[in-house]
Amino acid sequence: MSLDGEPVTRSITAPAAAPVVPEDGDLVARCQHGDTAAFSELVTRYRGKVYAMIYNMVHNEQDAWDLAQDGFLKAWKSIARFRGQSSFYTWLYRIMMNVTIDSLRRRHVEGETEFDDSIGLRNIDPNSFTTPRTEALPNEKIAGDEIRARIDAAISRLSPEHRAVILMREIDGMEYQEIADSLGCSIGTVMSRLFYARKKMQSMLRDVYENL
Amino acid sequence: MKTFEEKFTAWVDGRLTGAELAAFERELEARPEATAEKQAALQLGDLLRAHIAAPPLRNPDFFNHQLLQSIRQQQPQSSSAPRRSPSFWSLPRMAFSGAFLLLLATIFYSAAVPNTRREVRHNQQYVSNILNARSDDPDITATSFHSKENNVNVLWLDGLGYMPRDHKLK
Repeated sequence: MSLDGEPVTRSITAPAAAPVVPEDGDLVARCQHGDTAAFSELVTRYRGKVYAMIYNMVHNEQDAWDLAQDGFLKAWKSIARFRGQSSFYTWLYRIMMNVTIDSLRRRHVEGETEFDDSIGLRNIDPNSFTTPRTEALPNEKIAGDEIRARIDAAISRLSPEHRAVILMREIDGMEYQEIADSLGCSIGTVMSRLFYARKKMQSMLRDVYENL
Repeated sequence: MKTFEEKFTAWVDGRLTGAELAAFERELEARPEATAEKQAALQLGDLLRAHIAAPPLRNPDFFNHQLLQSIRQQQPQSSSAPRRSPSFWSLPRMAFSGAFLLLLATIFYSAAVPNTRREVRHNQQYVSNILNARSDDPDITATSFHSKENNVNVLWLDGLGYMPRDHKLK
């Protein structure tokens, strides 16, 4: 009561509760009990990054969609075996990489792609810093679309493993250990692949980045 | 022990430190073009980051919908009630066992039951014959019973003076 006898009414307004965003681990635990809604939330969380990563590997929207679907389906099937030694994203990334690399290898076997590891091995001596030039057009400015086309063409000539390391490192900014975990290989292998992938890309794109 | 490629990559990415970095830079002193190569690698990275951009995922909700549909389609095969372990009594085994038991029963029947039946039938026929036989002598009475002690059927005839030859028990 107030001094003049009027009842005091206080409006107690609770601070607006921030929506609780479940951790990946909580969602994974629910998935492991068959909760597809939890899995859908994880998919929503990572589908964009996963799709972009796959698209940069295969350069085709429909293929990227199908491979992402395939990868998420595999993740659902094996999520019961996920023990949390790595982050969920690293684990998912590894599945997606395996699916994508397998697909690229299959297409290579079927003759649809022309990537060639020998580009680097034949033309690039690791002890030599001279990378061969290709299609060099000195002082010629290249339009954005053409640059993108040149980059895509260069990436498509890399082996799936070299594509993976250079995209994970340069585009996704992943550390060597994360890349190694995602690809299931050693850090040394990652660094070595990165060395050759860069050399190959430099040999194919030197005129582009030198003339920008 | 890192290879040259590994050390060069770590050097480009700024991951070499301390004594390792100093040792590698000493190694590179004999290679004046190394700095230019490092610069080229960094330029390549900038080029890729500036020009590689994946288009956004179209119809993201449909993406989830399609995925969940695939999961539901596969669930009955994989995550439904655990499959029962196959029973020993498969259909072929049941059929074979039935036929075998039928054969055993037939053998048993032909080996044991029919003989008994024949004897019983024979005895019954004999008793029947006797019981149905007319006797002029009203003092003759016939009684039949089973002797548990001897496990035989006994035909007890009272008042019968003699046994006709053709009705002699064998």
